[in-house]
Amino acid sequence: MQALIQPFSHEYDAYLRDESRRIGKADSISFPQSEADIQAVLAACYQDTVPVTVQGARTGLTGAASPNGGHVMSLGRMDQVLGCRYDGDTFYLTVQPGVPLCELRKMISSRRFDTTGWTDASLDALTQLSRAKEQFFPPDPTETTASIGGMVACNASGARSYKYKATRGYIHALTLILMDGRKLHVQRGKHTATGRKLTLWPDGGDPIHVELPAYQMPKTKNTSAYYAADDMDAIDLIIGSDGTLGVISEIELSLLPLPAFVHGVLCLFVSKDTAVSFVENLRRSDEGIAAMEYFDVHALNVLRMQRKTHAAFSSLPPLAPWIHAAIYVELHGNDESDILARLNTIGDTLSAVGGDADHTWVARNASDLDKLLFFRHAVPESVNLLIDARKQKDPDITKLGSDMAVPNEHLRHIVDYYADSVTAHGLQSATWGHIGDNHLHVNILPNDMAQYDAGKKLFLEFAKTVSSLGGSVSAEHGVGKLKADFLPIMYTTEQLRQMKSIKAQFDPKGLLGMGNMFETSREVDAV
Amino acid sequence: MNLIVCVKQVPSTTDVRMDPVTHTIVRDARQSVLNPFDRFAVELAVQLKERHGGTVTTLSMGIPATEGLLRDTIARGADRAVLLTDRRFAGADTLATSYTLSLGVQAIEKYDCILCGAMAVDGDTAQIGPELAEQLHIPHATNVQSIDEVGADSLTVTQQVDGGTRRLRINRPCVLTVVRDIVMVRMPSIRGIQRSMAAEVRIWGADDINADVNRIGLTGSPTQVIETYVPKRQKQTVDLCGSIETLSKSLMDMIEKNGGGAHDTH
Repeated sequence: MQALIQPFSHEYDAYLRDESRRIGKADSISFPQSEADIQAVLAACYQDTVPVTVQGARTGLTGAASPNGGHVMSLGRMDQVLGCRYDGDTFYLTVQPGVPLCELRKMISSRRFDTTGWTDASLDALTQLSRAKEQFFPPDPTETTASIGGMVACNASGARSYKYKATRGYIHALTLILMDGRKLHVQRGKHTATGRKLTLWPDGGDPIHVELPAYQMPKTKNTSAYYAADDMDAIDLIIGSDGTLGVISEIELSLLPLPAFVHGVLCLFVSKDTAVSFVENLRRSDEGIAAMEYFDVHALNVLRMQRKTHAAFSSLPPLAPWIHAAIYVELHGNDESDILARLNTIGDTLSAVGGDADHTWVARNASDLDKLLFFRHAVPESVNLLIDARKQKDPDITKLGSDMAVPNEHLRHIVDYYADSVTAHGLQSATWGHIGDNHLHVNILPNDMAQYDAGKKLFLEFAKTVSSLGGSVSAEHGVGKLKADFLPIMYTTEQLRQMKSIKAQFDPKGLLGMGNMFETSREVDAV
Repeated sequence: MNLIVCVKQVPSTTDVRMDPVTHTIVRDARQSVLNPFDRFAVELAVQLKERHGGTVTTLSMGIPATEGLLRDTIARGADRAVLLTDRRFAGADTLATSYTLSLGVQAIEKYDCILCGAMAVDGDTAQIGPELAEQLHIPHATNVQSIDEVGADSLTVTQQVDGGTRRLRINRPCVLTVVRDIVMVRMPSIRGIQRSMAAEVRIWGADDINADVNRIGLTGSPTQVIETYVPKRQKQTVDLCGSIETLSKSLMDMIEKNGGGAHDTH
């Protein structure tokens, strides 16, 4: 035990922060390599009433992995794939939480795994996987070094979630270690609620009785609260719980066959209005669309600027000055003539809304898809470079990004609302995101701390507007610490109390993920 | 300028997977692609056409499925395409291939310049361009990185040579082989793809180009690939755990044990 829990020292400073750049504090740290290690550390912290913050790869954007004191548990060394299963229809992999998504993708694509310790049944399933049609794990957050455990904890999604939905849909089973060290195993289809009442049976000790909150989930992507629905599957309560209910120690995830054809189309528009019309029209027509991603004029301008000065971006095709918006559409399918028909549909839709089928860049092979992927990543990267330059003058400056989604019927309104609000407040922004799901990331680019503070206040206004439209204040990044202030805007006091009551059932001493979801900045300041 | 671009279909990846039970190579299910060097040749040709007028015809010797890649070149600005496909072309080495391509070139209407990629990434011989030129009895220049001037009877080009570059004037018609990354390869538009699906791709067999059957395919190949294999790689991994001091000492011990000196470390 002494070897597992180590005192915190400066060599571990990187473990105080995640991609939100929030810097926390901690007194001790551990790097468990097994479920037994996790249980031992948690039990010790429980006994001494020490708060615990769990970390995967620390790629989150909400500060959920950034500790508020106490103990930091880093699961990065639990990075093994433990086995494979085939049920005649679907392939499953059992993985430890620290497996990075990029490594998992390589393993699935190459069908090469470290099979040390695998059972014969797993090895047989791997042989079948080697001979089957190529498979893939659909959730695609932009940051591919994210850990699978982290993705489960915040129900991560990405560009392709327009078609494939979020991580939740691919988690078949998981093991949760509770703060008192007990183990809880849940499997989809085996444990369900009756109405809004759910009982869970950890190994040993008392069962956990949960009264699920009465709210209805918004009709949008949503990672802003505990999942709750009538007769829901118990596993869905754990998925997206932001490290507040337990430590996810093992995950069984499912794969899908890779589509035979993946085509990407970057459509270039003279205005955001035309781009929005294109999305509204295209959405009505087709089920083969895997992604619809938007880039506004400000995002494209930052890219244009960085392209002139940074060699890394010089390989990108130039963007003509008339281009004021871009939409990336990705098509997946198994029939080539079908995909061609969908390209024609996109062309027709462009003509119908005043766009032009000549003003498109189509990727039909891996090399061209990589170019479009590079373009899509170059947009946030070029914004990061701009912020880094501003940090030279004011080190406290950081980018502010919103992560809200509204139902379909409010798309045009929200696009205009975001643009007009930013201008009205005299701020600079760059907006991009998953327009197919009405889920855009408005990134405020502050020049000084006054603008940074103004941006934070503006996001609170966004939260009110989005909530009033039936949307979600956190659509894919989770809540963590940085968005806890948004929850009281989207949910009533009673709904928040119901959520806190669930947490109290799992973690009576309130030690796990302290500051995630529930303590707003006012409550934290009071402490 | 009337240009012909010779292109080749190659596998999309050199990553080879083995079936864990049968230990045979699993053929990659992904689509084949246009040889990366040829992509630049096509783009260069299209840019020349746009500047000077004329036509671009892409030409390939390949399996029937190569038609799809030829249509892609039309989507990216070529005007027409020709596919030389025949079972009797199979197994061809570079001599038989260049002979076959030369017949295809001669069957196409007059040309001012033939562009090829400097080499194909699956064969790496870089022989096709020069052999094609000799078959056609026209001059050639290899490893061209730019076409600087287009004259009535000649072209001025810059070649990459060992240690630098060389500018030379070469008479038309000629064969030029081009290196990579010399131009930005455009992506097709939806309109371009629609045009390419409607375009005619001429498909010719050995008889259509009056080929001497003793000079094509395996029969016409004085060289033959005996074996292609995946080189064996060995990797050893040692896990080191511990404090910074322990890790530093372990690393230094390993370096010294494997022949490095402590004074070489930083």
